[in-house]
Amino acid sequence: MSDTSVTTRRPLADRTLPGPQERGRATFLHSLHAEWIKLRTMRSTLWVALGTLVAGVGLAALNGASAGGEHATLAPADQAVFDPLGTALKGYMLAQVTLALLGGLVITAEYGSRTIVPTLTAVPHRSRVLAAKGAVLAVAAYAVGVATMLAGFAAGQSALAGAGAPHVQLSDPESLRAVFGGALYLTLAALLGLAVGTLVRSTTATVTTMFATLLIVPAFGPALPGPLADWAAVYWPPTAGGQIVTGYRDPALLDPWPGLGVLALCVAVLLTAAFLTFRRRDA
Amino acid sequence: MIEVRGLTKRYHEVRAVDSLDFTVRRGEVTGFLGPNGAGKSTTMRMILGLDAPTSGTATIDGRPAAAHPAPLRAVGALLDAGALLPSRSARHHLLALAAGNGIPRRRVQEVLDVVGLGSAARRAAGTYSLGMKQRLGIAAALLGDPPVLVLDEPLNGLDPEGIVWMRRLLRGLAAEGRAVMVSSHLMNEVERTVDHLVVIGRGRLIADTSMAAFIAAHSSPREVVVRSPRAEVFASRLAAEGAAVRRGDDAQSLVVTGLTAPVVGALAAARGIELHELAPRRPSLEHAFMELTQDSAEYAATAGTGADKETF
Repeated sequence: MSDTSVTTRRPLADRTLPGPQERGRATFLHSLHAEWIKLRTMRSTLWVALGTLVAGVGLAALNGASAGGEHATLAPADQAVFDPLGTALKGYMLAQVTLALLGGLVITAEYGSRTIVPTLTAVPHRSRVLAAKGAVLAVAAYAVGVATMLAGFAAGQSALAGAGAPHVQLSDPESLRAVFGGALYLTLAALLGLAVGTLVRSTTATVTTMFATLLIVPAFGPALPGPLADWAAVYWPPTAGGQIVTGYRDPALLDPWPGLGVLALCVAVLLTAAFLTFRRRDA
Repeated sequence: MIEVRGLTKRYHEVRAVDSLDFTVRRGEVTGFLGPNGAGKSTTMRMILGLDAPTSGTATIDGRPAAAHPAPLRAVGALLDAGALLPSRSARHHLLALAAGNGIPRRRVQEVLDVVGLGSAARRAAGTYSLGMKQRLGIAAALLGDPPVLVLDEPLNGLDPEGIVWMRRLLRGLAAEGRAVMVSSHLMNEVERTVDHLVVIGRGRLIADTSMAAFIAAHSSPREVVVRSPRAEVFASRLAAEGAAVRRGDDAQSLVVTGLTAPVVGALAAARGIELHELAPRRPSLEHAFMELTQDSAEYAATAGTGADKETF
């Protein structure tokens, strides 16, 4: 059969079949490369990155302009707690949702399109696959996060300055903490999406869960029964983590880094659950 | 070589795969047959380490698929040709799989050319026809140049030219010394392509034998098809000679069991009965398979369809 000779460079029958161990070993670095190719060639990745940037900058500019305009009319007590930093970084509210969606898609797109089967046939080492996905996602989310926070900061502060309201410089330590810590917050949101996506395997269910966790509970927390509302206002992980982007310190709430720590701990617990589930479950 | 020993998968109370034992040897194409729901795909998934067996083992060249340092170099698989991200190009799909096993980029172009997708490689996989997806799945299976291949229904969606191509490919892979395991419902194609058969039904092993031995063992008694304008007269004559005769596809056709074609022909000549057709029915894998699996088909139509409708 002459036309089949192209399937291999040499016919296997003519050589001693080498044992697999002699032919190279797949490593975590190989998986990182594979997951990077997949993330890069997923159409949603580009849209999420662009959408995050636009939302971050757009919200910052709008908030800056409107809050800046109102500043002069505020009572002195309200002026004292006016937060130009937090105002300019409000875009993180939307950015966290888009990046959590990307985090979810990294795994739910594989279940949705059933590519999880070839993926796990090529690399049956489940933890390696999920760790590689997490690492690639974290780097991408942090890069998008830094870009979004920096651009939002610039747009927001210039809008505030344009309205003649107080504004802050990037070189202030608080600003640097909020911008780069905020990017960390967004990275954690993406990893939260990955953890939930791995557990539920459905894009729709992941999106719904992320909306509820990141936006609905923080917004409607005060409507919860008393003690629960008090707890949620301080410790609900996305609320606690959100302190990282604020300039004004409410003494009743957590400080920025401990707050981000609460979110990080929550993400770590869910990722652990995701790893355990992913390892044990049939593909 | 694939070795399956005592392989069992239970979902709650249902034994989808029940104590399977068989071996897929190098240098052979092994057909893996069974009615829908027999447990073929589940078995293949366990061989590849995608699903965990409830008990038993499946090894590839002595160890579980997941224990190979670079799995794609140990076993290539096509389980689900439609498992593609629609917006991702075929080339990127393969590049990602190759990267995970440290397989060089140039191998991606090689396998794309082998399956004839070289010129369509940059198109989004979602635009592919089912036949093209099957070819892409084969390309993925060949990435690691593996000594063992596991292919679930690779013929689905292929056009006639594609089926001939696949047959040659599978024969060629076996001739190169690889162990090739193929499931298919296209019995005529299996009959032309495979050396060895493993047949399962309701999760259990029904047969593990060579193709020739399987057909010989499971074919109905030899039948002869006769067509004559005087079919009814001839039928009683044949019955008088001890043959079992039943009506064929139309009023002029008879299916005769118990006499060979030469004897039937001689009887017709002796009686001066005009014949329009005299054909021994060739025993086929399809017949043998139907006969064997009638009882174990998960969703069988009412008896009698199928076997009697064989055309020539």
